[in-house]
Amino acid sequence: MQTILIIEDDPVIREELQLLLENEGCHAAAVTEFSKIPQQVQALSPDLILLDLSLPNRDGLTLCADIRKCSKVPIIVVTSRDSTTDELRALSLGSDDYITKPYNIPVLLARIRAVLRRSGGASEPECLEAAGLRLDLAKGTVTAGGQTAELTRNELQILAHLLRRSGEIVSRGDLIEALWDSRIYIDDNTLSVNMTRLRGKLEGIGKGGCIKTRRGMGYQL
Amino acid sequence: MNLREFLSDRLGRMAGQLACAAGAVCFLWATGTRTGVLTLLVLADLVLFLLVQTADYLRLRAHLAELEKILADLDEKYLFAECIPKPKSAYERKLFALNRRAGKSMLETVSQARSAQWAYREYVESWVHEIKTPITAARMLCQGLEGERRRKFLQELAQIEAHVQRALYYARAESPERDCLIRQTALSELVAQAIQAHQTFLIQSGVRVEMEDLPYTVYTDEKWAGFLLGQLLQNAARYRREDPVIRITARPLGQKVALRVEDNGLGIPAHELPRVFDRGFTGSNGRARGASTGMGLYLCQKVAGFLGLDLRLEAEEGKGTSVSVSFPGKEEVTKS
Repeated sequence: MQTILIIEDDPVIREELQLLLENEGCHAAAVTEFSKIPQQVQALSPDLILLDLSLPNRDGLTLCADIRKCSKVPIIVVTSRDSTTDELRALSLGSDDYITKPYNIPVLLARIRAVLRRSGGASEPECLEAAGLRLDLAKGTVTAGGQTAELTRNELQILAHLLRRSGEIVSRGDLIEALWDSRIYIDDNTLSVNMTRLRGKLEGIGKGGCIKTRRGMGYQL
Repeated sequence: MNLREFLSDRLGRMAGQLACAAGAVCFLWATGTRTGVLTLLVLADLVLFLLVQTADYLRLRAHLAELEKILADLDEKYLFAECIPKPKSAYERKLFALNRRAGKSMLETVSQARSAQWAYREYVESWVHEIKTPITAARMLCQGLEGERRRKFLQELAQIEAHVQRALYYARAESPERDCLIRQTALSELVAQAIQAHQTFLIQSGVRVEMEDLPYTVYTDEKWAGFLLGQLLQNAARYRREDPVIRITARPLGQKVALRVEDNGLGIPAHELPRVFDRGFTGSNGRARGASTGMGLYLCQKVAGFLGLDLRLEAEEGKGTSVSVSFPGKEEVTKS
């Protein structure tokens, strides 16, 4: 399990971030005593640091440089300061990414994953498997019982999202949001069209009816 | 100063001098000066008089020309009084001193107003940064809510955020050079960031975005350009009709890249088109819909101005609006 250290002075954000990261299967630690942070970092040796720039009694940028002096741990700066100069300074002082508040949560998680991946952590799975389906994300194909169908980009992302949450009911709204997060900007009607086509393709490989419609709630795989 | 103005200024004095001369001539003639001598005297006096006046006129004209040149060469025209040579006559010196005092007081007023404006900008900026922390916290707290309520909360938060962002950029737009950095940016990335920033509102509006491949690199400041695009997206979603679609396309235009954001929304009546970029102009659509500040396009125009972007808006009532933004850029040689 990877350890992420949260350095953030706002208690609500700190606790919610901790909760969110724990739910994502990480170990999330938080700094509550804002002195001697570099020593705390060394003692904990986390895999990633989320650093807020406006901390009590201390500028986050100098702290970033201080941590960098004693550790190679990846740092993501998360701040409400959105000026280009701040961003450039943070990056030149050794942080690995710069995210401005208020952030979109899926985007935050994606960028945390990206930084962890770059620093040699776990890599994104190439294939997703559930409900007897095997989805190859790189090739864009779905396989079941030896039969394979090719999917379009939209169909692939819809199926991937359902597979990641297999067993759960996924509402249309959630599905649309997840697709927008993957830069597929569709509306409700287009989702219906894509869903029909996806079901047709799944039927072609003998898995028709595996995506169930829960009336008034959404879809379930 | 032309000759006529000079003469009309001096008319009284010249008439007095001529009257004195005429009096002297009468006196000399009555006391028996010979006519020949008198004629000589009158002629000599006249020549002298004309010479002095001409010299005076030329001197004044040259002096004024010099002052004009100083003013023309000066970047900060209000510093004129500090830059001109000291006048020679006591009367002019007094005038000069009075003028300088007036100028000083104006400079003080201007600099006070400037620093007040600066302080206000700083305050708005820090206020915006402060408000972002509770917005972030509220967003995180929404995660715990169930589907529909969470979406509604997130929509409200997105609205708050859009307003806050406009306030911030309005404050910054007064002196944009402090926070502007032109960099090479992928156009597709710029657009994706803008869409992501307004995603909640766009999804809520039921918008579909059709985006072509945008294989261009542009030179611009990401934040300001992203803000501008965000305003265009907000407008397209705000003034929508049924089945709203936003089309985003780009094409090279000489050394530039023209990005076009088109919608199939309400459009704008032809007679309102010339005023859409005016500050505070809301138009019939804005008034009918309410909650329009008339700031969006005004700010866009301002941002486009200092980023050197060419901003053009075309619209047809009932058909849609199309805005094109031309960025300095080049076509990417290798498609990624």
